[in-house]
Amino acid sequence: MQKCVVVTNNPALYRIISAGRLIDGSSLDVLIDVRDAIHLGSRMLTHPLCGNLRPCQQPFRSVLIQNNPEALVHLESLSMIEEAVLLYRSYQNRLLLPCMLSETLCEDYAFVDFELMRESLDRYGLLSRNGALSPDLALR
Amino acid sequence: MRLELHRVFVNKLVFGDKTGVRDGILTVNKKELLALISEDELLGKNLDIDVAMPGDSIRIVPVKDVIEPRWKIEGNGQIFPGMLSDVDPVGEGKTLVLSGAAVVTAGKIVRFQEGIIDMSGPGADYTPYSKTCNVVLLLEPADPKMDKHDYEAACRMAGLKAAAYLARCCAEAKADRVDAFEHGNIREAMGACPELPKVGYLYMLQTQGLLHDTYLYGVDVKKILPTVLSPLEVMDGAIVSGNCVSACDKNSTYVHQNNPVIADMLKRHGKDFNFVTCIVTNENVTLADKRRSSGYATKLAAMLGLEGLVITEEGFGNPDADLIMNCWKAERLGIKTALLTDEYAGQDGASQSLADSCVEGNACVTAGNANEVIVLPPMKKVLGFPDEANVIAGGWQGSLAADGTITVELQAITGATSELGYTKLGACTI
Repeated sequence: MQKCVVVTNNPALYRIISAGRLIDGSSLDVLIDVRDAIHLGSRMLTHPLCGNLRPCQQPFRSVLIQNNPEALVHLESLSMIEEAVLLYRSYQNRLLLPCMLSETLCEDYAFVDFELMRESLDRYGLLSRNGALSPDLALR
Repeated sequence: MRLELHRVFVNKLVFGDKTGVRDGILTVNKKELLALISEDELLGKNLDIDVAMPGDSIRIVPVKDVIEPRWKIEGNGQIFPGMLSDVDPVGEGKTLVLSGAAVVTAGKIVRFQEGIIDMSGPGADYTPYSKTCNVVLLLEPADPKMDKHDYEAACRMAGLKAAAYLARCCAEAKADRVDAFEHGNIREAMGACPELPKVGYLYMLQTQGLLHDTYLYGVDVKKILPTVLSPLEVMDGAIVSGNCVSACDKNSTYVHQNNPVIADMLKRHGKDFNFVTCIVTNENVTLADKRRSSGYATKLAAMLGLEGLVITEEGFGNPDADLIMNCWKAERLGIKTALLTDEYAGQDGASQSLADSCVEGNACVTAGNANEVIVLPPMKKVLGFPDEANVIAGGWQGSLAADGTITVELQAITGATSELGYTKLGACTI
């Protein structure tokens, strides 16, 4: 059975979606989780590098995937995620982690991460509560 | 279509009783302009307006957008259609331009997304907006907890209103120079010089979400299918920026109005190639959209019989995927491509520059490395919030020193590596 899920390390986003996997880790950990899922048949529905910041400036990462158990590896997704992992690995020692940020800045990053995903989440029916995110509440 | 830009040159700004222009001096009635932007109930009570002139020891931070004052004095429609004016088509007639003046919107929105403009010192060399006489709108929301979409829209509209107001008040001024642009319909453009190649411009617009959006005739571009647009419509504000990512390669509304790729292609039309049309497209997050838009945009190019495409992107990372899809899809349809982008190659310039690539992308122009580090000495006056340097993309905690010096990557400087080429950065062979 095919199912869309979000892989994210953004707790604020995770709280308002209907199907997802919360990664307790860095943006790179999210990408590695997605890569592993792709090897098991999933395909990516959103670009793994959305936003406009470099890896060392991106504390949150969210990727929408479609689980297709038994499917052959989707090569386009695999190529794209490998490129993204490679890029993030080149910044491995300089990754920006949520715990390194002040509360207000963390909220801003979490909010923009959600905004980048909003359209896609809506389209694939994953917003569980009208897509209304109030990061200052959701992060607490 | 024929559009005349009636340029009134501005080399000085002063506050005064009546907004108008004379002998290169733009007088601004601050009270009247403040009243105009304060009409928006979403904006707070402590709005302010200041001026920043080239050479001043002034830093503006955080900057959201820059807009050139324009007002249509003849012809169909009005400036910023679908956004400030009605939705009628623009791009023909006469438009008054306050050349040398700009409106800068400043204030905190989503803090790490905005940029810095230094009016003097080494930073001034990296931003085109240090050379303009800037009317700076210092904005704040009516309620600090206001929805950020509403506040972003309020800031965007304040800038457009101010720019239109300034030019409208000068509508009777005599132009110092008139630049006339003509661009025929597609049949005429294709046949201008039959032996020359038929070339189009694929104009990619940032469209990923809040503070990553762009508007075409007021329509959110992430919701469109790629479409054709006359290059002259762009000069009348058909494209408006709603984004701040990143400051260095954000295409401000000002840069759209003055798109140098369009200006150059119009100049070379009928000489080096036939400039047939612009095709605008988006840079969405969803992969299905990327495939759809790149497929559709290049299909349009093929249907028009184009033999070459100049492709400009906006942003870094996600948009690189769109750029590359547009490139190889066009090339495989037999359309030669030339790409214009900037680079994020690390502070030492040794890292991979783009997040994606393809073998077909073998003609590429760069607007510079956004990761190059620059030290900005303190300025006597700061318009805005200097401590934002610590959180702006391209800065880091500690970027702002106690004496006001800022150490940042070029990424933090508004317009430093413009992917439309509206920048002073370049390369030369030695």
